Amino acid sequence: MQATRNVRRQPAIHILASEFGESTLNEKGSGEFDPSFVVTKLGSRINRVIVAGLLERMEAREVSNGSVIYQGQLRDPSGLNYFSVGDYVSDSVKELAIEFSSKLESGEPILLMMVAKTRLYQTDEGAVYTSLRPEEMCIIDTKRYATWLARTCDAMMVRMTNYTKSLDFEANMESMSKSELPLSTIKGLIAARNHYGELDLEHYRLNVMQALDIAEGKLESASKPLPQKVDIESEVEENDNQTNQDDLESAIIDIIKSLDQGDGVDFETIIVNSEARGHQRSVTEEKIESLSDDGTIHEPAFGWFRLV
Amino acid sequence: MSDDKYESHIKAVLSECSDADPEAVKLAFVKYEEEFYIPPQDALRSIIRRFQGEKEVNSPSTITSNQVRSTKKVKALSELSGEDRDIEIEVEVISHNVREQTIRGEQKNIAFGLIEDNPWGEGTQRTRWEYKDWGPNSNITPGSVIRIEGASVNEYQGRMSLNINQSTRIAVLREGTRPVNDPGEPININDLPKEGYVCLVGRVLSSRNDQIHRKDGSGSIDVVRGRIADESGTIGFLSWEPFEHEVGSLIKIDGSQVRTFRDTPELNFGRTTKIEPYHDANFADAEKLNSQNVMTISQLTDGSRDVETIVQIIDWEKRSFTRDGEEKHLWSGQIADPTGKCRMSAWEELPIESSKLPITIKLKGVRVRAWQGIPDITVDGADQVEILEQTPWDDSIDLKEHIVEVDLDEVTSSSSRVGISTEGVVVSVRDDSGMIMRCSECRRVLKDDECSTHGSVKGTKDIRVRLVLDSGRTTASLLLNKEASLNLVNMTEKDMESEIKSNGQMEFVQMLRNKFLGRKLKANGRSIVDDQGAMILAESSSVIDEESSLIATEVRAKWGVN
Repeated sequence: MQATRNVRRQPAIHILASEFGESTLNEKGSGEFDPSFVVTKLGSRINRVIVAGLLERMEAREVSNGSVIYQGQLRDPSGLNYFSVGDYVSDSVKELAIEFSSKLESGEPILLMMVAKTRLYQTDEGAVYTSLRPEEMCIIDTKRYATWLARTCDAMMVRMTNYTKSLDFEANMESMSKSELPLSTIKGLIAARNHYGELDLEHYRLNVMQALDIAEGKLESASKPLPQKVDIESEVEENDNQTNQDDLESAIIDIIKSLDQGDGVDFETIIVNSEARGHQRSVTEEKIESLSDDGTIHEPAFGWFRLV
Repeated sequence: MSDDKYESHIKAVLSECSDADPEAVKLAFVKYEEEFYIPPQDALRSIIRRFQGEKEVNSPSTITSNQVRSTKKVKALSELSGEDRDIEIEVEVISHNVREQTIRGEQKNIAFGLIEDNPWGEGTQRTRWEYKDWGPNSNITPGSVIRIEGASVNEYQGRMSLNINQSTRIAVLREGTRPVNDPGEPININDLPKEGYVCLVGRVLSSRNDQIHRKDGSGSIDVVRGRIADESGTIGFLSWEPFEHEVGSLIKIDGSQVRTFRDTPELNFGRTTKIEPYHDANFADAEKLNSQNVMTISQLTDGSRDVETIVQIIDWEKRSFTRDGEEKHLWSGQIADPTGKCRMSAWEELPIESSKLPITIKLKGVRVRAWQGIPDITVDGADQVEILEQTPWDDSIDLKEHIVEVDLDEVTSSSSRVGISTEGVVVSVRDDSGMIMRCSECRRVLKDDECSTHGSVKGTKDIRVRLVLDSGRTTASLLLNKEASLNLVNMTEKDMESEIKSNGQMEFVQMLRNKFLGRKLKANGRSIVDDQGAMILAESSSVIDEESSLIATEVRAKWGVN
């Protein structure tokens, strides 16, 4: 039988940044025109999302072929979504990107909603990142933001409940088909459980609770005081220095030293911590490579680093 | 709001931007929280960035690592070198093994094996390499021929291998091992595929001899048509061989081919089909199966035959036409049941008086055609119609005005329907929403003042809005006619026209997005469902005003999140 070309539009999933950002599994159909999906830890297969939040960063970057791409970060109560606006997007998205970036520069907060395609990419080192490619965006008010949050919480609770239900069954088709889970969710649940192993859902639950507080307008309970020692302060010290490279080196060494529990520290953790200290991802990647080359750090297992 | 609420956050900002005014910083936190619902810990970074302002020396904006990607397409593995990062090649998979490995604290399956280039060449020299699949991609199977797009080459101590990353695309060009359906394992009628060979057990509900006339006039073939049912559903069959099982008998059918005629699957029995009596005392009897054979309007699909249904006729009229010089008559009208509306046509006069409408009737053995996606029940003879005294449903429902609320998922999975209302979140506003020109001949939308069939014509102005509604599981495109568009956008035709003229089409569509993206919409009208997906043609549409705190309270109650 000939594989039919699936032309139906993929639905947009309401999702918080934490669930999407933690995904490291990609699924591609075998046919030429099959859509690709990012499979989240909760087993949601997502090709398209609808996300919202505070636009925290929107910067133009010149790529070496001369064209300009915009990279942005969208913050919701659970974390950050990274997105990029390249040459391939619609004119309207491109125009909005330019508009938002200048608005942001003037210090004006922007609450943004976007429908975007999901993307997962892997560097040669093996680190996996999530990213979004906006299809349509608009500035929203708090009312629409709060509604989105509430709906997203509902969607996440559905996924978490399905996930928990699935644990009564083996992570294979034969066992799972005996469950009462909707057939459409089973495929993703099996893939997620085999890929991610055991999960602790507690932080998703906390994300949902906090998002619900905001949706209900209870900002007071959604607010958290800062812990005594935060990344920001180390960012200060770092930024006061001039020699960025030495700085990055000591930062990476510092991160590995303090986080190494014996097995080394994984690539992504180093990047994220280094980013929190104000170093760009790409620069950190390069630095890790050079430190590895000159023997300052070594890689006992793929993607895990230790001090020599 | 207490003063020290933001204390730790303000401190963090000040330590970063020492010359910022603490009062201004505090006001910023208040603004983010009150006007944007962003709690201070989430607003922190944005506020720091703002107060750093121009002081910040921008980091170099050119990223060297982001080089232009140009895919290197090769025919043979020997053309590759150790530096190639983004290659495309067609290969045959020789072996494929999966192994578990811990990467960054997570158990991952990594696949490895052998591939050979030149997969289509017969007897030619092939080069064999090892590969590693970090995905792992489920579609790499031994024996299959695949095209690998975006893999990188790995050279280790002079040995070359291919790295298939998660970003690599694998297109299967020839399947390796074909999955075979278990022969002899019966499946439910409801689960039958649209095409393919199947095995099932069912009871014969009807069976009659029929003839199929060859189109070229070379004669006719004797066939048997009928219906078979199990508890999951019913399906029509067409037997090309003599079929002598009586109505009511239980049979097992192996090796029958499912073919989908229009939108309706049908079983075909041929020479290789094995049919034998089956014994199962617990199998539902004919009476029970017959009662589920009664279909509702929502279940009608194009191409159905032997349909049994109860409907109400809402309007009815006689039409005359001449064919081959002979005057013929056709009666047609609108019918409804509690699941929706559709049309019905009769080739014989039925005892229906317009003055007595609505009239409830029972139809038996009728067939269904669809016109523009709307089912049209065809009545070939008056003996197929029985007039009922009472409706089997609550007769206080006025079916003429009745609009059936249908879940979006049901709209997209069922056949085309009339008189429905559904809801979904707007996930797209199409760029061609707004003013359009239609061909004055065929109403097609003109492109650059040209109609695809009538060429350059003077168009007539029309207005429409095209959206996509989404349930999180399925989507449907929503097409609003002029009236519905103007009502939804809350504009007059004149306003809309001048708005588009002065601000431009792109700005107009963005205005619609600002209004509707991410909001829930209700649409009333009819649906057309086909291979391309579902489309809703709406006569009216409105935004559903949602109260976030109510939804949140509901979520808490439903899932016990407190």
